[in-house]
Amino acid sequence: MWKYLVKRFLLMFPTLLGVALLTFVLIRVIPGDVVELRYAGDRGSVSQDVLEKERARFGLDQPLWRQFATWVLGVARLDFGESMWTGAPIWQEIRLRFALSLQVAIMATLVAVVLAIPLGVLAALKQDSWIDYAVRIFSIAGLATPSFWLGIVFILLLLVVFHWLPPMIYTPFWVSPWENLKQLIWPALAVGYRYSAVATRMTRSAMLEVLREDYIRTARAKGLVQRLILARHALKNAMLPVLTVVALEFAFLIGGLVVTEQVFNLNGLGLLFVQAVAHRDYTLIQALVMLVAGVFIVVNFLMDIGYAWIDPRIRYR
Amino acid sequence: MGSLLDVVDLQTQFVTRGGVVRAVDGVSWDVAEGETVALVGESGCGKSVSALSIMRLVAAPAGRVVGGRILFKGRDLLQLDEESMRRVRGSEIAMIFQEPMTSLNPVLTIGRQITEGLETHLGMAPTAARARAAELLSMVGIPDPARRLPQYPHQFSGGMRQRMMIAMALACEPALVLADEPTTALDVTIQAQILELMKSLSRRLGVAMLMITHNLGIVARYADRVNVMYAGKIIERGTAREIYATPRHPYTLGLLRSVPRLDEPRRARLDPIEGQPPDLTRLPGGCAFAPRCAFRVERCAVETPPLRPIGAPGHVTACWEAERLTAVREPVGGRR
Repeated sequence: MWKYLVKRFLLMFPTLLGVALLTFVLIRVIPGDVVELRYAGDRGSVSQDVLEKERARFGLDQPLWRQFATWVLGVARLDFGESMWTGAPIWQEIRLRFALSLQVAIMATLVAVVLAIPLGVLAALKQDSWIDYAVRIFSIAGLATPSFWLGIVFILLLLVVFHWLPPMIYTPFWVSPWENLKQLIWPALAVGYRYSAVATRMTRSAMLEVLREDYIRTARAKGLVQRLILARHALKNAMLPVLTVVALEFAFLIGGLVVTEQVFNLNGLGLLFVQAVAHRDYTLIQALVMLVAGVFIVVNFLMDIGYAWIDPRIRYR
Repeated sequence: MGSLLDVVDLQTQFVTRGGVVRAVDGVSWDVAEGETVALVGESGCGKSVSALSIMRLVAAPAGRVVGGRILFKGRDLLQLDEESMRRVRGSEIAMIFQEPMTSLNPVLTIGRQITEGLETHLGMAPTAARARAAELLSMVGIPDPARRLPQYPHQFSGGMRQRMMIAMALACEPALVLADEPTTALDVTIQAQILELMKSLSRRLGVAMLMITHNLGIVARYADRVNVMYAGKIIERGTAREIYATPRHPYTLGLLRSVPRLDEPRRARLDPIEGQPPDLTRLPGGCAFAPRCAFRVERCAVETPPLRPIGAPGHVTACWEAERLTAVREPVGGRR
């Protein structure tokens, strides 16, 4: 068990280093850099000399390997440097936006899990009944509906029916939970619905598979009550694939909600990402990619712990 | 001894795309208290479905018991509501399955899987149930039960798992255990151990057993009486001794001849039954075994033979030509 977790934990670091190298190289392959873009407005009136000077200020005149080494050593000390575009420390740029994106992701996950597990189990139990069909239509619709569109519908409905609009300005949860939730519950619902659709379908099919297993028949032959058979024998076995889709979807939500954030006027990581790429803000892009990759890797690690917790065959390997 | 279980004219069917499969087709048999009865036949002859029908665990909605009565201690199990039936399962009738690998839940400890029955049926407190579970494990020959209880099925060998299935089945001291090919998935050496264990436990605890198997070798040693099934029907019944010594149905004879005998020289060739069991959706008229039968006469294809007494008391066969069989009976595995 511990050997397994330690191995998984140690594997996180080479993965991060690989991500760092790839990001570093790939963004430099895109034509243009932050200096060119900043002066692009005054076309032709900037001398090559000025551009070189600016580049030197950011260290862009150094050989690539040195730039990379400087950056990685900084990251190792959790120092991501400053944004090349705004000059502000990266951490300051990201902090609030990350808190916001993380919160929306967590809330959407809660919405998804709370919807998906009961619905999926119910649909599997009542396979091919009207309940099953209703759940399947509900989840297919969820897959087919873009979250941003659902977000627009939410806003319109709130406006038309209640003559109310969610707050447009972000209040951190620790400042005023009520104000914060009034704003963030709507994107969480819009995103959570689609997310729940994926998880519902996975729960349903995993349950259907597990319910056909021999050990379920054994449990029934033992005369256990249905509730116990479901909760203890079936659900625990069906949770592995569900855990996988929930975890991966969660990691995607950090930084993947560009359009939905726009709809709700949220200043999250998605928008910051787009801006950073548009400005060729190397330091910011690198930091954001590392952050999202870090989230993915940590979520994967937690998922491995979850697997081991659920399935003893993994735990004892 | 009184009759513990009386199966009367049981009919179980499966609705499939290919038509209605009459897996169990009007079968009657009984088990006395403390007795071991065997149900023997090829794969797909309806023996497992018979056992699942008694437990009312035939996979719905495709499978359904459509007729007959299952009298257990005088009550018709088919008339019970689901909740009363649940109380019978595991506490009065228990089942041991064929595959000890897949029949145990991989994510629950052995202790949990034994104690949950005790807690459900006997209302035992967790600590008492654990003590009883340890007792059960040592009863089925698993050493060091206290250390074994918190372990998971994958940490045990196939034979050990089947011992656990037996412990689980006997947990609530049922009156009847249905054992569905309990040793088929095990190594030959382990098979004998498990069968001996089941035999001695059933004697000691006075548990009646229905032993489902395709292996007539097992039957001779471990069963009191034998029912031979073919294509959803019982075609011969008698004491194990009778069936073994003087089979009165060509199919039984064929089964006996196809059992390899290690105690005889290799001069004898194995003698398989030619052909395939019939398609249960389209049973021909007459005797279902007729197309594969060496004793076939014209009448066999037209008239279905009923079970009729022959020879010793309690010995019945469903064959028109049963009398001819005695004449050609050879020692099992003998030269032809």
